[in-house]
Amino acid sequence: MKSKRQLQKENTKIKIFKTAYNIYSEYGFTATTAMIAKEAGVSHGTIFVHFSSVNELLTCLIESFGDNLALEIHDLAEKNDSIKKLLETHLNILSKHENFYIHLISEKSLIPEDVQMALVNIQSNFAFHFNRIIEREIQRHAVKSIPIHMIFNTWIGLIHYYLLNKDLFSPDEPLLKRYSSELIKTFLELIKD
Amino acid sequence: MKICIACGMPMKELSDFAGEDTSKDYCVHCARPDGSMQSFEERKTNMINFIIKTQGFDEKAATKIAENNMKKLPAWKEYFNIGD
Repeated sequence: MKSKRQLQKENTKIKIFKTAYNIYSEYGFTATTAMIAKEAGVSHGTIFVHFSSVNELLTCLIESFGDNLALEIHDLAEKNDSIKKLLETHLNILSKHENFYIHLISEKSLIPEDVQMALVNIQSNFAFHFNRIIEREIQRHAVKSIPIHMIFNTWIGLIHYYLLNKDLFSPDEPLLKRYSSELIKTFLELIKD
Repeated sequence: MKICIACGMPMKELSDFAGEDTSKDYCVHCARPDGSMQSFEERKTNMINFIIKTQGFDEKAATKIAENNMKKLPAWKEYFNIGD
């Protein structure tokens, strides 16, 4: 059994993690660890007891979001589900992390290069499953025979354009909640053979 | 749940495992036709080609992504410590 002290330590780490997620989601990646410490009610130094550096904290946050996406998409792809279901799951997870994700893609150049890799890995993982399902659909002539990377990039390009311009498309409410079904419907129509 | 030591894919179903053998630590995608695990170079080339095919990235960028991925995986870690 874990000692009270160990449990306390774990709880503090979770608290820092969750607070950091909220702060970055709201203020973006220019937010400081001092802001996170203040909001979490811990001393600045405490953050670095649990995370050796800001990079480590950022990487943990992005990877945890990525793991979340990877697991749900993996389950779905194994079940041989439809493209519609894949896209719905993709947007559903992104919508749970909408603000965090918007900051991630719009401030990519602000985050350190090794942390950027965590984001690249998320897209690569999604591309892996996307590829499996689209390839199958091309083979059975349900989807146009277009190079997979162009189908993938068209999808990512479309949703990122909306997300990056949230202020224009949906300033007052979550963007994906409002546009998900239209984006999916349009994309499916475009790639249909 | 097991995670493939050579590519990081979660292995849940029997069909995820190389040769549908759950005692294997690597997945069906990282196995050669004879069932053995791909070598470092084979895996790296496959990963690079896969990234280019699925996302259309430049070869140099794809290589960087593949290497970054591989250095975190138990099967390839040691390849990156030598001469670092």
